[in-house]
Amino acid sequence: MLAYTTEVFFSVFALYNAAIWPAQIIATALGALVVLLTLRPRGGSDRIIAACLAASWLWTGVVYHMMYLTAIDWAAWAFGTAFAMQGVLFAWTGAARGRLVFRFSPNLTGWAGLGLVIFSLAAAPLIGSLTGHGWPRAPMFGVAPAPVTLFTLGMLLLSERRVPLHLTVIPVLWCLIGGTAAWLLNLPEDLALPLAGVAAMALVLWKNRGAALS
Amino acid sequence: MKRTQPELSRRAFLTSLGALGVAFEGGRAFAGAGAVLTKAVPATGERLPVIGMGSWITFNVGDDPALREARRQVLQAFFDRGGAVIDSSPMYGSSEEVIGYCLARIANKRALFAATKVWTVSRWLGVRQMKESRRLWGRERFDLMQIHNLLDWETHLETLVEWKAERRVRYIGMTTSHGSRHDELEKAMAGQPLDFVQFTYNILDREAERRLLPLAAERGLAVIVNRPFRRGALFDDFARHPLPGWAGEFDCANWAQFFLKFIVSHPAVTCAIPATSRVDHMHQNMGAAIGRLPDAGTRKRMIRYVESL
Repeated sequence: MLAYTTEVFFSVFALYNAAIWPAQIIATALGALVVLLTLRPRGGSDRIIAACLAASWLWTGVVYHMMYLTAIDWAAWAFGTAFAMQGVLFAWTGAARGRLVFRFSPNLTGWAGLGLVIFSLAAAPLIGSLTGHGWPRAPMFGVAPAPVTLFTLGMLLLSERRVPLHLTVIPVLWCLIGGTAAWLLNLPEDLALPLAGVAAMALVLWKNRGAALS
Repeated sequence: MKRTQPELSRRAFLTSLGALGVAFEGGRAFAGAGAVLTKAVPATGERLPVIGMGSWITFNVGDDPALREARRQVLQAFFDRGGAVIDSSPMYGSSEEVIGYCLARIANKRALFAATKVWTVSRWLGVRQMKESRRLWGRERFDLMQIHNLLDWETHLETLVEWKAERRVRYIGMTTSHGSRHDELEKAMAGQPLDFVQFTYNILDREAERRLLPLAAERGLAVIVNRPFRRGALFDDFARHPLPGWAGEFDCANWAQFFLKFIVSHPAVTCAIPATSRVDHMHQNMGAAIGRLPDAGTRKRMIRYVESL
């Protein structure tokens, strides 16, 4: 049971979106850059992509969860900590150590990853608008938990090598937590979360198994 | 459906209410609406209106100015209708802060009986949390401090007994909800120096009638009832049905009053704390604190009626 209503949940997003404007534009531009660098890699692009993902998780954890959602939900401190941890993991694994390589391959995991990335960038905000949760109340790309999580799962499926499992734990857990909240708050745009989480995890395991056998 | 309104002599009416420990608080009456029913806190004899206000979910609106103003209007209606007991908890997100915001913008709040809870572990964290609650409410002292869901209750009770002796809190209590942990609450009620207990009781969830309510009466504990509408589920289940015509016999005009009058007519119940975010619902709820209450026979009839729907 949540301690707040759907109306209050979106009122927090309205205050948050107004306060951080135009960070949403910057985040969307960085998201587009990440997609471009994945499809057309350049030198250092993998570290840039990892840094962008790290920044999204850190921002969402610290600014959205810890500075805004905590006003109505004491559990937001824990959520924010988890998101910040995920940001640190991306920064360490991808940006600092260069252990992540993002490339699109025209296979099942590649198309699934690209699908999730495009869904989080374009389709999720559109569904939100159609269901009456448009700007300024909408969870925006790159700065809100659900879009960040879906985008990240998509990018992990687009990674060329074996997907590091430690990078999947928090996103998949958030899919379950966020999906439960979406169900309780009646948010159709976020009901994709649990489905995406389970499907992405299954694909990651399948992809890693294939990588181990090859 | 025509509602009957049988005649009842004033003497018989007052006698029946007196047997329930109910009295009228004329000074708190809403203009033109009649006197507010009150019941005594057994420990002191202080009288409290039988309908209070909960704040779970409804007052957790964060920083949104429009939503805060809407809640201020709800609270204004509460005091205008003679309300006094407001219950909250640090667990309820921004509820305490929003209550404090609203109280600072309401004039006629002299009757306020401020009740909140401590919901953490350890003495240090408990003291810190209770001080923070005082700051959020803008109160120097709470009327009632309760231990929320019995969390680390032995530790907090020790602190609260000291605080009560030092007059830093007037009453101390313990709460549970959802009908859970009744055995542990019962043990605390039997052996600990409590003034209040709070638990769930409504026309469908009547587990408390077996042991908790009789024990509260025996031990002289005031009883606050939470979840009087089963978090709104009672309306989902029954509001589409007509009120029985005989509901008028105890001045009941809507389902909210039907459910609330059932609760507060129990002799051991001091008050119920329905939560709402709407002014019209607040008026309906506070209407249950006015007029006649059902007697024991009518209470059984109320149960039979809702169970037949």
